[in-house]
Amino acid sequence: MRGMTVLAAHALVKRYGRALAVDHVDLHAERGEIVGFLGPNGAGKTTTLRMLAGLVRPDDGRAEILGARVPGTTLRRVGTMIEEPSFYPYLSGRANLHYAATLHGGIPAGRIDEILAFVRMTHAADKRVRAYSQGMRQRLGLARALLHRPDVLLLDEPTNGLDPVGIAEIRENLRTVARGGVTILVSSHILAEIEKLVDRVVAIQDGAVRFDGPLDDLLHRVQRRTVTLRLSATDPSALRAALADDAVRGDAQRAAGADGPGADAADGDEAVRVRVAHEGVPDLLRRLLGAGVDVTEARTEGEDLEGAYLRLLEGDGPPADAGAGPDAKTESDAGRAA
Amino acid sequence: MRAALAATGRVVRAETFRLLRKRRMYVLAALWWVVLPVLVLLLARVLQVTLTGSFVEGEAVSVKTLLQGLASPFGVARVGLVAPAYLSPSPYVIAVALLAAAGLGEPRTHRMWKSTLVAEPDRRAVLAGTFLTMQAFLGVLLAGAFVFGAAFGAIGTTFLPTAAEGAWGRLAGLYLLQWAHLATLLAFASLAIFVLRNVTLGVVTTFFLPPLVEGLYAVWRATAGFEPLNRFNALFQGLELQATLEAVPRWFLSNNLYLPARTSAAPLLDEVVGTLQAVGEEAGGGPGGAQIASLLGADLTLPHAGLVMAVYGAIFVTLLVVAFLRREVA
Repeated sequence: MRGMTVLAAHALVKRYGRALAVDHVDLHAERGEIVGFLGPNGAGKTTTLRMLAGLVRPDDGRAEILGARVPGTTLRRVGTMIEEPSFYPYLSGRANLHYAATLHGGIPAGRIDEILAFVRMTHAADKRVRAYSQGMRQRLGLARALLHRPDVLLLDEPTNGLDPVGIAEIRENLRTVARGGVTILVSSHILAEIEKLVDRVVAIQDGAVRFDGPLDDLLHRVQRRTVTLRLSATDPSALRAALADDAVRGDAQRAAGADGPGADAADGDEAVRVRVAHEGVPDLLRRLLGAGVDVTEARTEGEDLEGAYLRLLEGDGPPADAGAGPDAKTESDAGRAA
Repeated sequence: MRAALAATGRVVRAETFRLLRKRRMYVLAALWWVVLPVLVLLLARVLQVTLTGSFVEGEAVSVKTLLQGLASPFGVARVGLVAPAYLSPSPYVIAVALLAAAGLGEPRTHRMWKSTLVAEPDRRAVLAGTFLTMQAFLGVLLAGAFVFGAAFGAIGTTFLPTAAEGAWGRLAGLYLLQWAHLATLLAFASLAIFVLRNVTLGVVTTFFLPPLVEGLYAVWRATAGFEPLNRFNALFQGLELQATLEAVPRWFLSNNLYLPARTSAAPLLDEVVGTLQAVGEEAGGGPGGAQIASLLGADLTLPHAGLVMAVYGAIFVTLLVVAFLRREVA
């Protein structure tokens, strides 16, 4: 059933005063697809989700669910969990679901128990929500979003506040749901949190889409990042001399734009920091050893997967990644068109 | 149309489910249905013991008539309608403000609109369903006051010299009319709470804005009015607006809002107006009877009050619908 677009945003624009919160965002999701909506806090993810859910009117562009313009009756086939899930605190979890089920209408009586079991909340179903932990609220929020067997799920950071076991369980739940043909758009500001879940990624920064494509493409770009390598050797001057030699530095480090060791000396000249492309690290170490430098320590500093991903969003990646902005989108669009 | 009605019905069921789990509903009902009639019966018993055989009974009042008017089944049921209209703050306003806070304030306080308006995207249905539920709860409160009043009055017949006689049909009609009038106040309270985005501020507005505006008018009339001939007043007199401005109290929300309930106490009000008029004449001036009646709202009729409430209601509901449909859920 893949191939049918069930969720689409066409050039969505939203301004709050002079601030441009969402800047001509295009995205789409096909039936049964799990799309990650990535971006740092304040990037425009939640505003976009709100426009897709019909809660906020776009200043320009349009949102569509199941081919019909939002807001409209097709929203009844959408399950949402936008920002922190909220409930009536004086009602129990079960009563909150009953309230939602009554609003939706036509939900069989046994469905509430079924969905509570699915999100592993049966044991706390009759407690008042005011006594719930944040993780329990997240699970109940997911239960409410799934209660009416929606065709589309819009989830805003659904694993917030969950422990690692809870995150894994929610991830498994969402995979199960997607296998049933439900389209899921799940936002997060943490790449690692959703990289094991999504098929495709739309990355947004400053309200504009910076990347739209398969997760593998994004990971590939991120992994071609540059890192800061901290090197120590028994003879620091020999290390510096070797690094000044183009033959030793090699293409990878030059590509990373490193200026040589002199500018980056650290720790009282005992250690040297150099910028080097991630995949060039083994080559560099081999060349240093080949040049007779006894490297006693080599470790990367201050740049994890998230940092690299954020730099990629900001367009601050290595030259090889320079196309990770609008170019990447164009590539993806071309792929989509094909 | 059918879909919209079905959606409204679902909202009514969901909101009823929710409001039935609010403790404040039961507190309100207990105060109105049980505490008030019990207090009336206690007062009646005290009056019976104190006045029977005293000089008052022979000179001015028939204790039996007094107790029949106050504590018979009809009398207690009537007190359930009249007393809230004369208490300050009025239990009518309290009930309406609390209901509006629960109906339209709580979804905002608990950030529930973002899920409610996706579950039911037809905002007209959501607003209509919520409003109808609140109005239905008000109806239940009033009906309970009527039924419980009659029931407690019936209990009172076992130890008081009272009987069940009374103009029951007219009283039931006044209850119904008062309930209809309260819809306007409910629209005003809902509007205040929704537009101000703050339940406390909305409730305070509901309590104090109409009396404040009306009070300011009364102060102006009492201290200045049209008496000093200045340019301002000359302008109004020249435009022949003086009579219109003097008739403004006929259009006050509070005066018209409680008229069905106060109609039951009309003879007493007439007496108050007559006394004030006599006192004014004795003092060699003062406002005339018509002016006093105007300030007290005693010159109003039920059809007039119904018209005024309808106009206010239409304005409040229109503003509420526009605000609700346009509001973004942030």
